[in-house]
Amino acid sequence: MTGKLPFRASFAVVVRAGGLVAAIIIVAIVFDLFNAAFLSIDVGISILRSMCSVAILGLGLTLVIISGEIDLSVGAMYGFASNILAVTWILGGLPIYLALPLTLVIGAVVGMCNGILSTWARIPSFIVTLGSYNLLYGLSLLVTNATTFNPVYPPDGSNVAAGQLKFFVGLTRQLGAHQLSAEIFWMIGAALVVGFVLHYSLFGFRLYAIGGNAAAARLARLPVDKYKILAFSAAGVLAALAGILDFSFVQTTQPDIGLSQTFPVFAAVVIGGASLSGGKGTIIGTLGGAFLLAELQTGLAVLSPGPYAQQIFLGVVTVGAVGLDIALSRFRSRRAA
Amino acid sequence: MTPGVSAAPLSKGGGIALRGLAKSYGNTRALQGLDLDLAPGEILGIAGPNGAGKSTLIRILAGEEDADAGQISNDDGHCTREFLAKHVAVVHQEPQLFPNLTVAENLLVGRERTRFFRPRIRQPDRELMSTMGILVHSNDAVSKVRLATRQRVEIGRALARNAKIFLFDEPNSALSADESRDLFRELHKVSEAGNIVILVTHRLDDLVRHTRRVALIRDGRIDGQLTGTGLTEEAIARLLVRGLEPDEKSNDAARRARKEPGEPPLLQVSAWCHTAKAFSNVEFALASREVVAVLGVEGSGAREVLRSIAGFENSRGDIRLRGREGVAHVRSATAYVAPSRSESLFHNLTVGDNILARLARPEIANIYGRLKKAEMQSRADVEIRRFWVKAESASQSITTLSGGNQQKVAIAQAILKRPQLILLEEPTRGVDIGSKREIYQLLRDFADDGAGVLMFCTEILEVFEAADRVLVFVQGRLAASIKTADHERIEELAATVARAAGEAV
Repeated sequence: MTGKLPFRASFAVVVRAGGLVAAIIIVAIVFDLFNAAFLSIDVGISILRSMCSVAILGLGLTLVIISGEIDLSVGAMYGFASNILAVTWILGGLPIYLALPLTLVIGAVVGMCNGILSTWARIPSFIVTLGSYNLLYGLSLLVTNATTFNPVYPPDGSNVAAGQLKFFVGLTRQLGAHQLSAEIFWMIGAALVVGFVLHYSLFGFRLYAIGGNAAAARLARLPVDKYKILAFSAAGVLAALAGILDFSFVQTTQPDIGLSQTFPVFAAVVIGGASLSGGKGTIIGTLGGAFLLAELQTGLAVLSPGPYAQQIFLGVVTVGAVGLDIALSRFRSRRAA
Repeated sequence: MTPGVSAAPLSKGGGIALRGLAKSYGNTRALQGLDLDLAPGEILGIAGPNGAGKSTLIRILAGEEDADAGQISNDDGHCTREFLAKHVAVVHQEPQLFPNLTVAENLLVGRERTRFFRPRIRQPDRELMSTMGILVHSNDAVSKVRLATRQRVEIGRALARNAKIFLFDEPNSALSADESRDLFRELHKVSEAGNIVILVTHRLDDLVRHTRRVALIRDGRIDGQLTGTGLTEEAIARLLVRGLEPDEKSNDAARRARKEPGEPPLLQVSAWCHTAKAFSNVEFALASREVVAVLGVEGSGAREVLRSIAGFENSRGDIRLRGREGVAHVRSATAYVAPSRSESLFHNLTVGDNILARLARPEIANIYGRLKKAEMQSRADVEIRRFWVKAESASQSITTLSGGNQQKVAIAQAILKRPQLILLEEPTRGVDIGSKREIYQLLRDFADDGAGVLMFCTEILEVFEAADRVLVFVQGRLAASIKTADHERIEELAATVARAAGEAV
């Protein structure tokens, strides 16, 4: 009877991943029944484009959640990155080639501070990142003086070199006949890197152990604090990257941009199978979660029943997906017993 | 029958009789036909090795669980679980109170006698606190008062709800000598008031000093009682190990006598003092290829000595591993295995990943940090066989293994790190007898490769079967270092240890 265990384990993976895949397909079919044009390449590409920022933010959040911590500040960091880039480049005249790496470094430093406060200073990461969420929003308001920026129309007295503008906008330019945005390739590239780190590197192997049982990891002398700080730092860099890419795509930034991304990112990660108690989660799951959310958003935008529908669906899908996960794991443990 | 061992005296008037109690958890038979009589005004001592069924008996008596078979009755007939829950109070070594509430509020919880308003302390409660000597603390949060005070609060809670049967479960294991004395004064008062008092403890001297009758539990039943002049520490110690059949191989004198003379010690500890004073001035050495046990009841400092060498307890003094001094060096060259699997295993990982969890470059990753997945898989399969882990495959969840096999995984995880010295806390806690022997053999093989093993034990049998030498700790001091090979039989070792511990007090 125990001979079936590997089978059961793989069965569970299929059910879990399959549940998400099934949800994505069912939602697509339902939308197609209401609107015949839904199942098309153009809509697919549009969904992929609109999932980018949630997916890239989700990659970082997945690392932090697997390590057993939480990061509420990724959305705010996304906004701060976009604003600090606008201010240093458009207002400050710093060349884009310096402003971009600077923004990524700021993301890393913010993440590192979150990590250090959550480990060495022993402040719960929920509290630390609730604080940095507000702090980053405040800094966004401060540096932008509460105004919006667009590099195509710089404020009086500033000007943006044409070459630099072309380079910046080109980061997410549309490619080919189907208007495939380059942002999608950035997302795929980031997912490949983070996926490799999580699933094929010593860092990822240990991160699961640390998130599953931090006390045991300490007694086994694994570098618990260092790895958690690295996970937070990666989340900061990825949030900055998402902010930069969306700024390049939309070409405008506001002081409060990104704040509303906070909870959809969490939804994507937990729909993807990550556990808020740590030690569990995958990159492919997070991407699937982000895709499902973008699919719902796009489909509801096409049907346009009103802005209420998107929020209601987000709520139902989040609780439903996690509820399904708990029901499935109970089902599995009953079968195993 | 050994002198002093007598049949249980039958009690009349307010007593409780336990007949044929049985309880199983899965395949483990915790109690199998236990008979015991409890009399009011008497303090009954209960002793027994770990896993003998003491905690199960406590849980059933306290009404926390039902027995599978047998019955508990008083003069009026059968005692229901509700009756027991109402009249039996357990005083734990770590009191189970509400740490966020004050001492006075703790006395009130569960008997508030109000439907709407916040309950208030009344005069009887105040008098009770005054006689218990905790009135001065009545407005302090329980988390802020000392352990001895918390135990008084737990006793007070039981008295306030008119409990009639008091179970003291290792109550003084973490108390100082003075605090212990006060606690036992309280225990005698409770007994003299006509209550039934049961003292469960590993401390033989307390059993002899404070009880008139000691019942020994083994394999889920009463295996002899000691009363009157037959009640001595040595008699209990002998009774505790009576009938145990150590493994033939483990008593092989040749195996134990193969320490090479003149070799410098692997571990050397001197003037070793615990910052929080659990032990002081400890001095001993451990040779290569030696398996040494540190033995002592809770509060003796034995556990803390082991943890301090692992670097988890602040201590001062001189510590050397292969001649090199310093806590940091010892820390980096040793591996530690925690007493509970919840502190040594990663429940979210597979069996194979748990075994490999402490490894790094170059064993499981290349210089760029990329995991060598194929090597990891074959290595996990090899180690599962080498460490006798009974698992279907390396990719099954660790939670599907039995306790004994999980413990083998925990030990394998530490040994694979190739430490010079492995430090284990209660290496076979909650492990079945077959796995125990396998674990002892694994540790022996590891030592034979030139390393050392130091383990904290609570059982003489474990010491006799697994160790070359035992360091006996009493009240924070190293009382004796005893070679197990000098003892043909486990009873002799038990008697030597009991004598050494008795002389040290």
